[in-house]
Amino acid sequence: MKKQTLAATIILLATVAFALIPLFRRNVDFPIPVHHALHAAMMAGGALAGIFFAGSLMRERRGGAAWLIVAMFAPVFAMLLMWPSEYSYFELHPYGHAAEHLGLTFLAFVAGYGGQRYANGIGWAFGIGIVAMALLAIGGYGVGPAITTPVAAAPSQSNATAAPNVTHGSALFTQNCAVCHGVGGAGGEGPPLKNERSRKTLAAAEAWIENPAPPMPKLYPATLSAQDVADVAGYVETLR
Amino acid sequence: MNPRAGTRVMWTYIGTGVAIFALMLLAGILLRASQAGWIPVDPGTFYSILSLHGVGMIVAMAISGLGTLWYLVRRETDLDERIAFIAYGFFIAGVISVIVSVVPGRYGSLWTMLYPLPFVGTYWPSWATGAWLVGNALVMLGFMLWCAQILGALLAKYGGIRGMLAIDYVFRNRAFTESGGKPPPPAMFAAAITAFDGFVTGMVGLTIGTALLVHWIDRSVAIDPLWAKNLTYLFGHSIANLTMYMAVAGIYVGLPLCTKRVYHTSPQLAVAWWATLVFVLIAYFHHLYMDFAQMQWMQFVGEIASYLAAIPVVVVTVYGGVMLVHRSGMRWSLGSMFLYGGMIGWVVGGIGAVLDATIPANVDLHNTLWVPAHFHTYLLEGVLLFTLGWVFVNLEQRAGAVSALFTRWLVGLGMFGGGGLFVLSFYSAGAAGVPRRYAIEPAPGPFWASIATAGAIAFAIGFTICVIEGVRLVRLRKSKAAA
Repeated sequence: MKKQTLAATIILLATVAFALIPLFRRNVDFPIPVHHALHAAMMAGGALAGIFFAGSLMRERRGGAAWLIVAMFAPVFAMLLMWPSEYSYFELHPYGHAAEHLGLTFLAFVAGYGGQRYANGIGWAFGIGIVAMALLAIGGYGVGPAITTPVAAAPSQSNATAAPNVTHGSALFTQNCAVCHGVGGAGGEGPPLKNERSRKTLAAAEAWIENPAPPMPKLYPATLSAQDVADVAGYVETLR
Repeated sequence: MNPRAGTRVMWTYIGTGVAIFALMLLAGILLRASQAGWIPVDPGTFYSILSLHGVGMIVAMAISGLGTLWYLVRRETDLDERIAFIAYGFFIAGVISVIVSVVPGRYGSLWTMLYPLPFVGTYWPSWATGAWLVGNALVMLGFMLWCAQILGALLAKYGGIRGMLAIDYVFRNRAFTESGGKPPPPAMFAAAITAFDGFVTGMVGLTIGTALLVHWIDRSVAIDPLWAKNLTYLFGHSIANLTMYMAVAGIYVGLPLCTKRVYHTSPQLAVAWWATLVFVLIAYFHHLYMDFAQMQWMQFVGEIASYLAAIPVVVVTVYGGVMLVHRSGMRWSLGSMFLYGGMIGWVVGGIGAVLDATIPANVDLHNTLWVPAHFHTYLLEGVLLFTLGWVFVNLEQRAGAVSALFTRWLVGLGMFGGGGLFVLSFYSAGAAGVPRRYAIEPAPGPFWASIATAGAIAFAIGFTICVIEGVRLVRLRKSKAAA
């Protein structure tokens, strides 16, 4: 086995093992920037493995427009897979989370391998590029202050006018939400809700509780009244 | 290797670029005429047309420059024509998507938009924002494909980055030349820097583009506005800048054809391009001087980088170009006029840019028409003229004829006189503090908009004559070939 192939195999196995961590450590509650940084590390491993594998091939097997196009699309799909929503559907379940990581590793591998198969040096360009995209994401992809936009902060359907009662909201949360989101919003089957204030305004949180996306159940208005929604949202906004 | 592939790609790209330019020119005249009060355009429509005009012009200039560079690089290396046409397909698909977002969709938050504006506009539906973002992403994918292909070819030809950037030629000049080494020709520096910086810029564009697309689909994904602005301008400002560096290849190859002299690579030229390679990516900070949340050191870096990105390569290239023309007995055909005029436009637009990038002046100039003044000078009287110069040098050489003196005067009066009047009115209005990106401008905006409209119409007439003359030269060549 060539040295490059051996190095590529070791790097790839180490990266895959790293990517499978969510299977063994279920309640991972990292802030989104840390998550992006860990994704960048996985993608660095995937890209390096791809570059080394391609490098171990004979020079005359290089070339081909298809490799270039495949390498070019990989970073875009990786950014989509890094979807940093609280309800990033892959991350709701440990297997989904691990699959997401394997997807990122695979896409980085494709970027490095495809680029390098096309021309010497281009795999490095795509490999560095895809890792740089993940690192750039740390600065603001899913981590900015919530800004009121028409959909995110659609006016609450409820007619609640009273200020949120956080104590009442805490009780309602324990009763209805903690089974998925964990006690104190620490996370569980559902995503953690700590620092939710940095992602959603109070109005956006209320709108979300009233009209959630599956698999989160819709409890308003059957179970929760308009004031209850306001109280729960108010409580969630206090979580740190 | 198909010998005609280079010209086929080049003319397809340039033809498309010139056609898009012509349409965007009409859109631009409509915008200035509405600001002058000559033609009533409601604000919603104004911002839609402004969005289309801005991105359309950049795409037009970029496609033309990419076609020229592809042809020049193919003369030196082996390039696959199919990749160039796949990239072209991405460009066209992107342009169609952008047109759909603007014409039926009425999208209107411009191409260097500030988050969250695309998502809070009241004039256009949500799908128009999506179509706009997808269109921009497609153009970016085409651009990245082009960059990767050119980078791969140049790295292979010159044996890696050291050879491509002539590092040994600069630092070990004697040993390099004595061993028979040859640095890349000047046009290859333009290609290498465009491809390298274009690749980086493309990655940044795809990062912010994908993030915005995700936000468009899922509004619970927050985006940091300052982060978004940094990435948008790193991508937007660099792409706009790179259109010039693509077109500069016209000087390196076109002017030697006119003067019968050779434009040599020198260590100074190589170092000047290195400066551009690095600093063009961080010059954009001057768009954020007034964002007080931005870290202060970035503002100072922005000022220094703005100077270092442009000045070295302008000085070295223009000095070399002028020396090439000096006492060469060059005939002032349309091709040589455009190339020489383009150098003047580049310098004047560059001075306007450097003034705007100077922190104390930026506070007074940046939100005014001074900024469109400098980039219209740069694009209209620089990039476009380099492209047309390259086209006409080729047409004149192949037809074995040049245009009549009267035609040259007409084109010169329209494109230099009218174009000069057009950009001068922008500068004057900017110096008077007329704000930019306003459908309805406060006084003295409408007065200067009237002058600008007259100048733009004169420019359009000159451009039309120029296109007709180009068609005449093509026919002349064909008839000579048939005879």
